Amino acid sequence: MLSSVPQRKTRWKSKKMVKVTRSYPIFPFLNVWEEVRGLLPVDGEPNPGVGLGVEEGLLCQMVHSPEFNLFPDSVVFESNFVQVKKGRNWVDIYKASNTMAVGVTSSVPCLPLPNILLMASVKWHQGQSQTWNRPSKAPKIILKRILPLKFVELQVCDRLQRILQLRTVTEKIYYLRLHPDHPETVFHFWIRLVQILHKGLSITTKDPRILVSHCLVPKNSCSPSEDSNSVQKKPQASQPSESLLQLMAEGESEALAQIFADLHQPSQLSSRSSKKTQIKRDNSEKNTPSEDSIPCTPDLRWRDSFTYGEWERENPSCPQPLSLLSTLAASMGPQLAPLIGNSI
Amino acid sequence: MLARFRRPSPWASSPPSREKKGGRGGVGKSCLLLQFTDKRFQPVHDLTIGVEFGARMITIDGKQIKLQIWDTAGQESFRSITRSYYRGAAGALLVYDITRRDTFNHLTTWLEDARQHSNSNMVIMLIGNKSDLESRREVKKEEGEAFAREHGLIFMETSAKTASNVEEAFINTAKEIYEKIQEGVFDINNEANGIKIGPQHAATNATHAGNQGGQQAGGGCC
Repeated sequence: MLSSVPQRKTRWKSKKMVKVTRSYPIFPFLNVWEEVRGLLPVDGEPNPGVGLGVEEGLLCQMVHSPEFNLFPDSVVFESNFVQVKKGRNWVDIYKASNTMAVGVTSSVPCLPLPNILLMASVKWHQGQSQTWNRPSKAPKIILKRILPLKFVELQVCDRLQRILQLRTVTEKIYYLRLHPDHPETVFHFWIRLVQILHKGLSITTKDPRILVSHCLVPKNSCSPSEDSNSVQKKPQASQPSESLLQLMAEGESEALAQIFADLHQPSQLSSRSSKKTQIKRDNSEKNTPSEDSIPCTPDLRWRDSFTYGEWERENPSCPQPLSLLSTLAASMGPQLAPLIGNSI
Repeated sequence: MLARFRRPSPWASSPPSREKKGGRGGVGKSCLLLQFTDKRFQPVHDLTIGVEFGARMITIDGKQIKLQIWDTAGQESFRSITRSYYRGAAGALLVYDITRRDTFNHLTTWLEDARQHSNSNMVIMLIGNKSDLESRREVKKEEGEAFAREHGLIFMETSAKTASNVEEAFINTAKEIYEKIQEGVFDINNEANGIKIGPQHAATNATHAGNQGGQQAGGGCC
Protein backbone atom coordinates (compact mmCIF):
# COMPACT_ATOMS: atom_id res chain seq x y z
CA MET A 1 0.00 0.00 0.00
CA LEU A 2 2.07 2.65 -1.31
CA SER A 3 1.37 6.09 -0.32
CA SER A 4 2.50 9.15 -2.02
CA VAL A 5 1.66 12.76 -2.08
CA PRO A 6 -1.65 13.12 -3.82
CA GLN A 7 -1.42 15.25 -6.86
CA ARG A 8 -3.96 17.96 -6.91
CA LYS A 9 -5.06 17.24 -10.37
CA THR A 10 -5.46 13.62 -9.65
CA ARG A 11 -7.36 14.34 -6.53
CA TRP A 12 -9.67 16.59 -8.44
CA LYS A 13 -10.31 13.93 -10.98
CA SER A 14 -11.25 11.56 -8.27
CA LYS A 15 -13.63 14.11 -6.88
CA LYS A 16 -15.27 14.52 -10.17
CA MET A 17 -16.06 10.90 -10.06
CA VAL A 18 -18.06 11.38 -6.95
CA LYS A 19 -21.68 10.88 -7.52
CA VAL A 20 -23.63 13.64 -5.94
CA THR A 21 -26.71 12.19 -4.43
CA ARG A 22 -29.49 14.65 -4.23
CA SER A 23 -32.33 14.78 -1.86
CA TYR A 24 -35.14 14.78 -4.36
CA PRO A 25 -36.65 11.57 -3.10
CA ILE A 26 -36.98 13.09 0.31
CA PHE A 27 -39.24 15.78 -1.01
CA PRO A 28 -41.68 14.26 -3.39
CA PHE A 29 -44.00 17.15 -2.85
CA LEU A 30 -41.46 19.54 -4.20
CA ASN A 31 -40.89 17.46 -7.22
CA VAL A 32 -44.55 17.37 -8.00
CA TRP A 33 -44.81 21.05 -7.48
CA GLU A 34 -41.88 21.72 -9.71
CA GLU A 35 -43.25 19.52 -12.38
CA VAL A 36 -46.50 21.41 -12.30
CA ARG A 37 -44.60 24.60 -12.80
CA GLY A 38 -42.44 23.06 -15.43
CA LEU A 39 -39.36 23.91 -13.49
CA LEU A 40 -37.71 20.57 -13.33
CA PRO A 41 -34.90 20.56 -15.80
CA VAL A 42 -35.45 18.46 -18.82
CA ASP A 43 -32.96 15.69 -19.23
CA GLY A 44 -29.91 17.03 -20.87
CA GLU A 45 -30.58 20.58 -19.84
CA PRO A 46 -28.05 22.11 -17.55
CA ASN A 47 -29.05 22.52 -13.96
CA PRO A 48 -29.58 26.24 -13.39
CA GLY A 49 -28.16 25.95 -9.91
CA VAL A 50 -25.01 24.47 -11.31
CA GLY A 51 -24.87 27.14 -13.95
CA LEU A 52 -25.10 29.80 -11.31
CA GLY A 53 -22.34 28.16 -9.35
CA VAL A 54 -24.47 27.48 -6.31
CA GLU A 55 -25.03 23.77 -6.68
CA GLU A 56 -22.65 20.89 -7.12
CA GLY A 57 -19.79 23.29 -6.79
CA LEU A 58 -16.32 22.87 -5.45
CA LEU A 59 -17.43 22.70 -1.86
CA CYS A 60 -20.11 20.16 -2.56
CA GLN A 61 -17.74 18.02 -4.53
CA MET A 62 -15.21 18.17 -1.76
CA VAL A 63 -17.45 17.24 1.14
CA HIS A 64 -19.13 14.51 -0.87
CA SER A 65 -15.82 13.09 -2.03
CA PRO A 66 -14.49 9.89 -0.48
CA GLU A 67 -11.94 11.94 1.37
CA PHE A 68 -14.63 13.50 3.53
CA ASN A 69 -17.81 11.71 2.64
CA LEU A 70 -19.86 14.17 4.62
CA PHE A 71 -23.60 14.68 4.26
CA PRO A 72 -23.60 12.64 1.06
CA ASP A 73 -27.36 12.78 0.64
CA SER A 74 -27.74 16.48 1.22
CA VAL A 75 -27.58 19.19 -1.35
CA VAL A 76 -25.09 21.97 -0.79
CA PHE A 77 -25.89 25.58 -1.59
CA GLU A 78 -22.64 27.40 -2.03
CA SER A 79 -20.94 30.41 -3.49
CA ASN A 80 -17.55 31.91 -3.81
CA PHE A 81 -16.66 34.83 -1.61
CA VAL A 82 -13.80 37.21 -1.17
CA GLN A 83 -12.92 37.83 2.43
CA VAL A 84 -12.82 41.54 3.14
CA LYS A 85 -12.28 43.79 6.11
CA LYS A 86 -13.77 47.05 7.13
CA GLY A 87 -11.96 50.28 6.65
CA ARG A 88 -12.97 53.42 4.92
CA ASN A 89 -13.90 51.06 2.18
CA TRP A 90 -14.04 47.36 2.05
CA VAL A 91 -10.60 45.99 1.53
CA ASP A 92 -9.72 42.55 0.31
CA ILE A 93 -7.78 40.61 2.89
CA TYR A 94 -6.17 38.19 0.54
CA LYS A 95 -4.95 38.19 -3.02
CA ALA A 96 -7.58 37.93 -5.70
CA SER A 97 -6.58 34.38 -6.39
CA ASN A 98 -7.54 33.36 -2.88
CA THR A 99 -11.24 33.09 -2.26
CA MET A 100 -13.47 31.41 0.23
CA ALA A 101 -16.15 28.93 -0.67
CA VAL A 102 -19.04 29.13 1.74
CA GLY A 103 -22.05 26.90 1.69
CA VAL A 104 -24.88 25.49 3.70
CA THR A 105 -26.17 21.98 3.83
CA SER A 106 -28.04 19.64 6.11
CA SER A 107 -26.59 16.95 8.26
CA VAL A 108 -29.71 14.99 7.45
CA PRO A 109 -31.51 15.61 4.17
CA CYS A 110 -34.94 15.52 5.73
CA LEU A 111 -34.36 18.57 7.87
CA PRO A 112 -36.52 21.48 6.78
CA LEU A 113 -33.73 24.00 7.13
CA PRO A 114 -30.00 23.70 6.58
CA ASN A 115 -28.13 23.23 9.80
CA ILE A 116 -24.53 23.12 8.67
CA LEU A 117 -22.25 25.83 7.37
CA LEU A 118 -19.21 24.88 5.36
CA MET A 119 -16.17 27.03 4.78
CA ALA A 120 -13.23 26.29 2.54
CA SER A 121 -10.33 28.27 1.19
CA VAL A 122 -9.81 28.18 -2.55
CA LYS A 123 -6.70 29.12 -4.41
CA TRP A 124 -7.31 29.68 -8.08
CA HIS A 125 -4.98 29.58 -10.99
CA GLN A 126 -4.14 32.70 -12.89
CA GLY A 127 -7.00 33.95 -15.00
CA GLN A 128 -9.30 31.14 -14.03
CA SER A 129 -13.00 31.78 -13.77
CA GLN A 130 -13.62 31.58 -10.07
CA THR A 131 -17.17 30.41 -10.14
CA TRP A 132 -16.79 27.68 -12.64
CA ASN A 133 -17.74 24.41 -11.05
CA ARG A 134 -15.71 22.17 -13.21
CA PRO A 135 -12.61 23.98 -14.26
CA SER A 136 -10.19 22.17 -16.48
CA LYS A 137 -7.50 22.85 -13.97
CA ALA A 138 -8.68 22.34 -10.46
CA PRO A 139 -8.09 25.09 -7.95
CA LYS A 140 -6.66 24.13 -4.63
CA ILE A 141 -9.51 23.87 -2.19
CA ILE A 142 -9.04 23.19 1.51
CA LEU A 143 -11.96 22.55 3.78
CA LYS A 144 -11.47 24.74 6.81
CA ARG A 145 -14.49 24.57 9.01
CA ILE A 146 -17.80 22.92 9.53
CA LEU A 147 -20.06 24.90 11.78
CA PRO A 148 -23.50 24.12 13.07
CA LEU A 149 -25.68 26.93 11.79
CA LYS A 150 -27.24 27.37 15.16
CA PHE A 151 -23.93 28.76 16.33
CA VAL A 152 -23.61 31.11 13.40
CA GLU A 153 -25.30 34.35 12.60
CA LEU A 154 -25.49 35.31 8.96
CA GLN A 155 -26.40 38.85 8.01
CA VAL A 156 -26.48 40.96 4.92
CA CYS A 157 -23.89 43.53 5.78
CA ASP A 158 -23.70 45.67 2.66
CA ARG A 159 -26.20 44.92 0.00
CA LEU A 160 -24.71 47.15 -2.64
CA GLN A 161 -21.29 45.66 -2.19
CA ARG A 162 -22.86 42.21 -1.84
CA ILE A 163 -21.21 41.60 1.50
CA LEU A 164 -22.40 39.15 4.09
CA GLN A 165 -21.35 39.14 7.70
CA LEU A 166 -20.80 35.77 9.22
CA ARG A 167 -20.48 35.77 12.98
CA THR A 168 -19.92 32.72 15.09
CA VAL A 169 -21.03 32.29 18.64
CA THR A 170 -17.41 32.75 19.63
CA GLU A 171 -17.52 36.23 18.09
CA LYS A 172 -15.31 35.39 15.20
CA ILE A 173 -16.50 37.55 12.36
CA TYR A 174 -15.99 37.15 8.67
CA TYR A 175 -16.99 39.74 6.12
CA LEU A 176 -17.58 38.00 2.86
CA ARG A 177 -18.08 39.74 -0.44
CA LEU A 178 -19.78 37.65 -3.05
CA HIS A 179 -17.35 37.05 -5.82
CA PRO A 180 -17.89 39.40 -8.75
CA ASP A 181 -18.13 36.48 -11.13
CA HIS A 182 -21.41 35.50 -9.52
CA PRO A 183 -24.49 37.11 -11.03
CA GLU A 184 -26.67 39.32 -8.88
CA THR A 185 -29.19 36.54 -8.68
CA VAL A 186 -26.86 34.57 -6.48
CA PHE A 187 -26.70 37.32 -3.91
CA HIS A 188 -30.48 37.42 -3.88
CA PHE A 189 -30.38 33.76 -3.02
CA TRP A 190 -28.18 34.54 -0.07
CA ILE A 191 -30.48 37.34 1.00
CA ARG A 192 -33.31 34.92 0.85
CA LEU A 193 -31.38 32.38 2.84
CA VAL A 194 -30.55 34.96 5.48
CA GLN A 195 -34.20 35.89 5.69
CA ILE A 196 -35.24 32.34 6.18
CA LEU A 197 -32.55 31.65 8.73
CA HIS A 198 -33.63 34.70 10.68
CA LYS A 199 -37.34 34.34 10.41
CA GLY A 200 -37.85 30.73 9.73
CA LEU A 201 -40.16 29.07 7.36
CA SER A 202 -42.97 31.49 8.03
CA ILE A 203 -41.73 33.78 5.33
CA THR A 204 -42.19 31.04 2.85
CA THR A 205 -45.87 30.78 3.50
CA LYS A 206 -46.98 33.88 1.69
CA ASP A 207 -48.24 32.06 -1.29
CA PRO A 208 -51.97 31.75 -0.80
CA ARG A 209 -51.96 28.78 -3.08
CA ILE A 210 -50.05 26.86 -0.51
CA LEU A 211 -52.06 25.46 2.31
CA VAL A 212 -49.93 25.53 5.37
CA SER A 213 -51.05 23.31 8.14
CA HIS A 214 -48.94 24.95 10.78
CA CYS A 215 -46.06 27.26 11.33
CA LEU A 216 -42.78 26.12 12.74
CA VAL A 217 -41.81 29.49 13.99
CA PRO A 218 -43.20 30.93 17.19
CA LYS A 219 -45.61 33.75 16.56
CA ASN A 220 -43.51 36.24 18.37
CA SER A 221 -40.69 35.71 15.97
CA CYS A 222 -42.64 35.91 12.76
CA SER A 223 -44.46 39.12 12.46
CA PRO A 224 -46.70 39.12 9.42
CA SER A 225 -46.94 42.87 9.46
CA GLU A 226 -43.23 43.18 9.41
CA ASP A 227 -42.99 40.95 6.43
CA SER A 228 -45.72 42.67 4.55
CA ASN A 229 -44.26 46.03 5.31
CA SER A 230 -40.94 45.04 4.02
CA VAL A 231 -42.47 43.81 0.86
CA GLN A 232 -44.37 47.02 0.37
CA LYS A 233 -41.34 49.08 0.99
CA LYS A 234 -39.58 47.49 -1.82
CA PRO A 235 -39.13 50.02 -4.56
CA GLN A 236 -40.46 49.14 -7.92
CA ALA A 237 -37.17 49.89 -9.52
CA SER A 238 -35.48 47.27 -7.48
CA GLN A 239 -37.67 44.53 -8.74
CA PRO A 240 -35.86 42.16 -10.97
CA SER A 241 -36.63 41.86 -14.59
CA GLU A 242 -38.87 39.16 -15.92
CA SER A 243 -35.93 37.26 -17.15
CA LEU A 244 -34.31 37.50 -13.79
CA LEU A 245 -37.47 36.34 -12.12
CA GLN A 246 -37.59 33.41 -14.38
CA LEU A 247 -33.96 32.71 -13.77
CA MET A 248 -34.43 32.89 -10.07
CA ALA A 249 -37.48 30.77 -10.17
CA GLU A 250 -35.63 28.18 -12.10
CA GLY A 251 -32.52 28.55 -10.09
CA GLU A 252 -34.33 28.31 -6.87
CA SER A 253 -36.25 25.32 -7.95
CA GLU A 254 -32.99 23.58 -8.34
CA ALA A 255 -30.84 25.18 -5.72
CA LEU A 256 -32.75 26.92 -3.03
CA ALA A 257 -35.74 24.71 -3.21
CA GLN A 258 -33.43 21.94 -2.26
CA ILE A 259 -31.75 23.98 0.36
CA PHE A 260 -34.84 25.56 1.66
CA ALA A 261 -36.49 22.25 1.72
CA ASP A 262 -33.78 21.24 4.10
CA LEU A 263 -33.89 24.47 5.95
CA HIS A 264 -33.49 24.24 9.61
CA GLN A 265 -35.21 26.27 12.22
CA PRO A 266 -33.71 29.70 12.73
CA SER A 267 -30.43 29.52 14.44
CA GLN A 268 -30.37 30.17 18.11
CA LEU A 269 -27.97 32.95 17.61
CA SER A 270 -30.09 34.59 14.99
CA SER A 271 -33.13 34.44 17.14
CA ARG A 272 -31.27 35.88 20.00
CA SER A 273 -30.05 38.81 18.10
CA SER A 274 -32.96 39.40 15.83
CA LYS A 275 -32.77 43.07 16.56
CA LYS A 276 -29.41 43.15 14.94
CA THR A 277 -30.48 41.66 11.70
CA GLN A 278 -30.96 44.83 9.78
CA ILE A 279 -28.56 45.55 7.02
CA LYS A 280 -25.57 47.57 7.88
CA ARG A 281 -25.22 49.69 4.85
CA ASP A 282 -22.16 51.67 5.68
CA ASN A 283 -18.98 51.47 7.58
CA SER A 284 -19.99 53.89 10.24
CA GLU A 285 -20.05 51.34 12.99
CA LYS A 286 -17.57 51.73 15.73
CA ASN A 287 -16.20 49.05 17.92
CA THR A 288 -16.66 46.39 15.36
CA PRO A 289 -14.69 43.29 15.96
CA SER A 290 -11.77 42.92 13.71
CA GLU A 291 -11.95 40.37 11.00
CA ASP A 292 -10.44 37.10 11.81
CA SER A 293 -9.43 38.44 15.13
CA ILE A 294 -9.08 36.15 18.03
CA PRO A 295 -12.09 36.77 20.18
CA CYS A 296 -12.27 36.57 23.87
CA THR A 297 -13.74 33.43 25.22
CA PRO A 298 -17.46 33.85 25.03
CA ASP A 299 -19.96 33.22 27.67
CA LEU A 300 -21.90 30.33 26.34
CA ARG A 301 -24.03 29.80 29.36
CA TRP A 302 -27.01 31.16 27.53
CA ARG A 303 -27.05 28.01 25.54
CA ASP A 304 -27.87 26.04 28.61
CA SER A 305 -31.33 27.49 28.62
CA PHE A 306 -32.04 26.26 25.15
CA THR A 307 -34.73 23.81 24.67
CA TYR A 308 -34.00 21.87 21.59
CA GLY A 309 -36.91 20.86 19.48
CA GLU A 310 -37.04 18.14 16.95
CA TRP A 311 -36.13 20.57 14.19
CA GLU A 312 -33.03 21.72 15.91
CA ARG A 313 -31.55 18.33 16.43
CA GLU A 314 -28.61 17.32 14.40
CA ASN A 315 -30.16 13.98 13.79
CA PRO A 316 -33.92 14.00 13.96
CA SER A 317 -35.40 10.81 15.12
CA CYS A 318 -37.52 10.27 12.08
CA PRO A 319 -38.29 11.68 8.68
CA GLN A 320 -40.18 14.89 8.96
CA PRO A 321 -43.80 15.10 7.93
CA LEU A 322 -44.46 16.13 4.41
CA SER A 323 -46.96 18.67 5.58
CA LEU A 324 -44.03 20.87 6.41
CA LEU A 325 -42.95 20.87 2.87
CA SER A 326 -45.87 22.99 1.92
CA THR A 327 -44.23 25.80 3.79
CA LEU A 328 -41.18 25.42 1.67
CA ALA A 329 -42.71 25.25 -1.70
CA ALA A 330 -43.79 28.84 -1.48
CA SER A 331 -40.21 29.89 -1.38
CA MET A 332 -39.86 28.66 -4.89
CA GLY A 333 -42.87 30.42 -6.25
CA PRO A 334 -42.98 33.47 -8.41
CA GLN A 335 -44.09 35.46 -5.40
CA LEU A 336 -40.53 35.29 -4.25
CA ALA A 337 -39.81 38.08 -6.62
CA PRO A 338 -41.20 40.85 -4.46
CA LEU A 339 -38.76 39.99 -1.78
CA ILE A 340 -35.85 40.35 -4.04
CA GLY A 341 -33.97 43.52 -3.54
CA ASN A 342 -35.66 44.12 -0.31
CA SER A 343 -33.88 44.93 2.85
CA ILE A 344 -34.02 42.40 5.53
CA MET B 1 -1.55 7.46 2.25
CA LEU B 2 -3.93 9.83 3.80
CA ALA B 3 -4.76 9.29 7.37
CA ARG B 4 -7.70 11.00 8.88
CA PHE B 5 -7.52 11.60 12.55
CA ARG B 6 -10.66 12.77 14.11
CA ARG B 7 -10.44 14.48 17.34
CA PRO B 8 -13.60 13.82 19.19
CA SER B 9 -14.02 17.14 20.77
CA PRO B 10 -16.85 15.91 22.84
CA TRP B 11 -14.12 14.65 24.99
CA ALA B 12 -13.90 18.03 26.46
CA SER B 13 -16.34 17.97 29.21
CA SER B 14 -15.91 21.14 31.10
CA PRO B 15 -18.99 23.28 31.29
CA PRO B 16 -19.13 26.35 29.10
CA SER B 17 -18.90 28.65 32.04
CA ARG B 18 -15.69 27.10 33.15
CA GLU B 19 -13.93 28.15 30.04
CA LYS B 20 -15.00 31.65 30.35
CA LYS B 21 -14.39 31.86 34.00
CA GLY B 22 -10.96 30.49 34.03
CA GLY B 23 -10.05 32.05 30.77
CA ARG B 24 -8.77 28.70 29.73
CA GLY B 25 -9.21 27.44 26.28
CA GLY B 26 -9.49 23.84 27.25
CA VAL B 27 -7.26 20.88 27.26
CA GLY B 28 -5.34 22.07 24.23
CA LYS B 29 -6.55 20.04 21.30
CA SER B 30 -6.53 22.89 18.83
CA CYS B 31 -3.12 23.97 20.05
CA LEU B 32 -1.79 20.47 19.53
CA LEU B 33 -3.09 20.49 16.01
CA LEU B 34 -1.63 23.89 15.27
CA GLN B 35 1.71 22.82 16.67
CA PHE B 36 1.66 19.70 14.56
CA THR B 37 0.56 21.29 11.29
CA ASP B 38 2.13 24.74 11.56
CA LYS B 39 4.80 24.19 14.16
CA ARG B 40 3.66 27.13 16.21
CA PHE B 41 1.90 27.76 19.46
CA GLN B 42 -0.94 30.16 19.85
CA PRO B 43 -1.68 30.77 23.52
CA VAL B 44 -5.11 32.19 22.89
CA HIS B 45 -7.26 30.16 20.64
CA ASP B 46 -10.84 30.38 19.58
CA LEU B 47 -13.14 27.99 21.23
CA THR B 48 -13.67 25.29 18.68
CA ILE B 49 -17.20 24.91 17.50
CA GLY B 50 -18.14 22.35 14.95
CA VAL B 51 -15.08 20.96 13.25
CA GLU B 52 -11.89 22.56 12.04
CA PHE B 53 -9.56 20.80 9.69
CA GLY B 54 -5.86 20.39 9.46
CA ALA B 55 -3.62 18.21 7.38
CA ARG B 56 0.01 17.30 7.13
CA MET B 57 2.12 14.98 5.10
CA ILE B 58 4.32 12.57 6.97
CA THR B 59 6.53 9.72 5.91
CA ILE B 60 6.21 6.26 7.37
CA ASP B 61 8.19 3.33 6.14
CA GLY B 62 9.30 5.37 3.17
CA LYS B 63 5.74 6.14 2.17
CA GLN B 64 4.17 9.51 2.17
CA ILE B 65 1.00 9.69 4.13
CA LYS B 66 -1.39 12.56 4.35
CA LEU B 67 -2.89 12.87 7.76
CA GLN B 68 -6.20 14.58 7.66
CA ILE B 69 -7.00 15.86 11.11
CA TRP B 70 -10.40 16.87 12.34
CA ASP B 71 -10.36 19.18 15.28
CA THR B 72 -13.68 18.92 16.98
CA ALA B 73 -15.23 20.96 19.70
CA GLY B 74 -14.41 19.77 23.15
CA GLN B 75 -17.14 21.36 25.11
CA GLU B 76 -19.84 19.22 26.49
CA SER B 77 -22.45 21.37 24.85
CA PHE B 78 -21.14 20.45 21.42
CA ARG B 79 -20.95 16.81 22.18
CA SER B 80 -23.90 15.71 20.16
CA ILE B 81 -22.48 17.50 17.16
CA THR B 82 -19.07 16.01 17.48
CA ARG B 83 -20.44 12.54 17.80
CA SER B 84 -21.53 12.56 14.22
CA TYR B 85 -17.98 13.05 13.05
CA TYR B 86 -16.41 9.99 14.62
CA ARG B 87 -17.45 7.89 11.71
CA GLY B 88 -14.73 7.25 9.24
CA ALA B 89 -11.83 8.01 11.50
CA ALA B 90 -8.91 5.63 11.63
CA GLY B 91 -7.44 7.12 14.73
CA ALA B 92 -8.17 9.51 17.53
CA LEU B 93 -6.31 11.50 20.10
CA LEU B 94 -8.11 11.65 23.41
CA VAL B 95 -6.74 14.62 25.22
CA TYR B 96 -6.88 15.71 28.81
CA ASP B 97 -5.18 18.48 30.69
CA ILE B 98 -2.72 17.28 33.30
CA THR B 99 -3.38 20.42 35.33
CA ARG B 100 -7.10 19.76 35.56
CA ARG B 101 -8.29 16.68 37.30
CA ASP B 102 -11.81 17.07 35.98
CA THR B 103 -10.63 16.62 32.41
CA PHE B 104 -9.08 13.33 33.39
CA ASN B 105 -12.15 12.22 35.27
CA HIS B 106 -14.28 12.57 32.19
CA LEU B 107 -12.08 10.45 29.99
CA THR B 108 -14.23 7.39 30.43
CA THR B 109 -17.28 9.15 29.10
CA TRP B 110 -15.49 10.42 26.06
CA LEU B 111 -13.87 7.11 25.44
CA GLU B 112 -17.20 5.35 25.55
CA ASP B 113 -18.62 7.92 23.21
CA ALA B 114 -15.80 7.54 20.75
CA ARG B 115 -15.91 3.80 20.76
CA GLN B 116 -19.63 3.74 20.39
CA HIS B 117 -19.65 5.97 17.35
CA SER B 118 -16.50 4.93 15.59
CA ASN B 119 -14.88 2.04 13.91
CA SER B 120 -14.00 -0.61 16.47
CA ASN B 121 -10.49 -0.75 15.09
CA MET B 122 -9.88 2.93 15.50
CA VAL B 123 -6.53 3.63 17.10
CA ILE B 124 -6.85 5.82 20.13
CA MET B 125 -4.00 7.63 21.75
CA LEU B 126 -4.46 9.12 25.18
CA ILE B 127 -2.72 12.44 25.53
CA GLY B 128 -1.97 14.22 28.76
CA ASN B 129 -1.33 17.72 27.52
CA LYS B 130 0.34 20.75 29.11
CA SER B 131 3.25 18.77 30.43
CA ASP B 132 5.18 22.01 30.60
CA LEU B 133 3.03 23.06 33.56
CA GLU B 134 4.60 20.61 35.96
CA SER B 135 4.08 22.84 38.96
CA ARG B 136 0.35 22.81 38.41
CA ARG B 137 0.05 19.13 37.70
CA GLU B 138 -3.06 17.50 39.13
CA VAL B 139 -2.89 14.21 37.28
CA LYS B 140 0.14 12.04 37.71
CA LYS B 141 1.71 10.53 34.68
CA GLU B 142 1.25 7.12 36.23
CA GLU B 143 -2.49 7.68 36.34
CA GLY B 144 -2.57 8.40 32.65
CA GLU B 145 -0.49 5.34 31.96
CA ALA B 146 -2.77 3.20 34.07
CA PHE B 147 -5.87 4.48 32.34
CA ALA B 148 -4.35 3.83 28.96
CA ARG B 149 -3.27 0.35 29.97
CA GLU B 150 -6.69 -0.48 31.31
CA HIS B 151 -8.45 0.63 28.16
CA GLY B 152 -5.94 -0.50 25.60
CA LEU B 153 -4.80 2.94 24.54
CA ILE B 154 -1.44 4.35 23.65
CA PHE B 155 -0.33 7.06 26.04
CA MET B 156 1.88 10.09 25.89
CA GLU B 157 2.23 13.34 27.70
CA THR B 158 2.67 16.33 25.47
CA SER B 159 3.10 20.05 25.53
CA ALA B 160 1.62 21.99 22.67
CA LYS B 161 3.46 25.00 24.01
CA THR B 162 6.95 23.54 23.91
CA ALA B 163 6.12 21.05 21.16
CA SER B 164 7.28 18.28 23.44
CA ASN B 165 6.08 14.93 22.09
CA VAL B 166 3.59 16.54 19.72
CA GLU B 167 5.18 15.11 16.61
CA GLU B 168 5.52 11.78 18.31
CA ALA B 169 1.89 11.71 19.36
CA PHE B 170 0.57 12.17 15.87
CA ILE B 171 3.16 10.13 14.11
CA ASN B 172 2.99 7.24 16.53
CA THR B 173 -0.75 7.16 16.09
CA ALA B 174 -0.28 7.15 12.36
CA LYS B 175 2.27 4.37 12.65
CA GLU B 176 -0.15 2.34 14.67
CA ILE B 177 -2.77 2.81 11.98
CA TYR B 178 -0.23 1.92 9.35
CA GLU B 179 0.65 -1.27 11.17
CA LYS B 180 -2.99 -2.19 11.37
CA ILE B 181 -3.26 -1.68 7.67
CA GLN B 182 -0.26 -3.93 7.12
CA GLU B 183 -1.79 -6.54 9.34
CA GLY B 184 -5.00 -6.39 7.42
CA VAL B 185 -7.01 -5.11 10.34
CA PHE B 186 -8.17 -2.17 8.29
CA ASP B 187 -9.83 -2.92 5.01
CA ILE B 188 -8.29 -0.29 2.83
CA ASN B 189 -10.98 -0.82 0.25
CA ASN B 190 -13.58 0.27 2.73
CA GLU B 191 -13.51 4.02 2.89
CA ALA B 192 -15.51 3.91 6.08
CA ASN B 193 -12.28 2.96 7.78
CA GLY B 194 -10.92 6.37 7.09
CA ILE B 195 -8.13 5.14 4.91
CA LYS B 196 -7.80 6.02 1.30
CA ILE B 197 -5.20 4.83 -1.12
CA GLY B 198 -4.63 7.18 -3.97
CA PRO B 199 -3.01 6.41 -7.29
CA GLN B 200 0.27 6.58 -5.52
CA HIS B 201 -0.81 7.11 -2.03
CA ALA B 202 -2.98 5.87 0.70
CA ALA B 203 -5.05 7.93 2.97
CA THR B 204 -5.71 7.28 6.56
CA ASN B 205 -8.14 8.98 8.78
CA ALA B 206 -7.29 9.34 12.34
CA THR B 207 -9.41 10.88 14.94
CA HIS B 208 -8.50 12.96 17.85
CA ALA B 209 -10.40 12.93 20.94
CA GLY B 210 -9.93 15.45 23.56
CA ASN B 211 -11.54 15.50 26.78
CA GLN B 212 -12.68 18.11 28.99
CA GLY B 213 -12.25 21.66 28.90
CA GLY B 214 -12.21 22.14 25.31
CA GLN B 215 -9.49 20.08 24.11
CA GLN B 216 -9.67 19.39 20.60
CA ALA B 217 -10.77 16.03 20.06
CA GLY B 218 -12.88 14.71 17.55
CA GLY B 219 -12.75 15.47 14.01
CA GLY B 220 -10.12 15.05 11.55
CA CYS B 221 -6.99 14.01 12.90
CA CYS B 222 -5.15 15.14 15.65
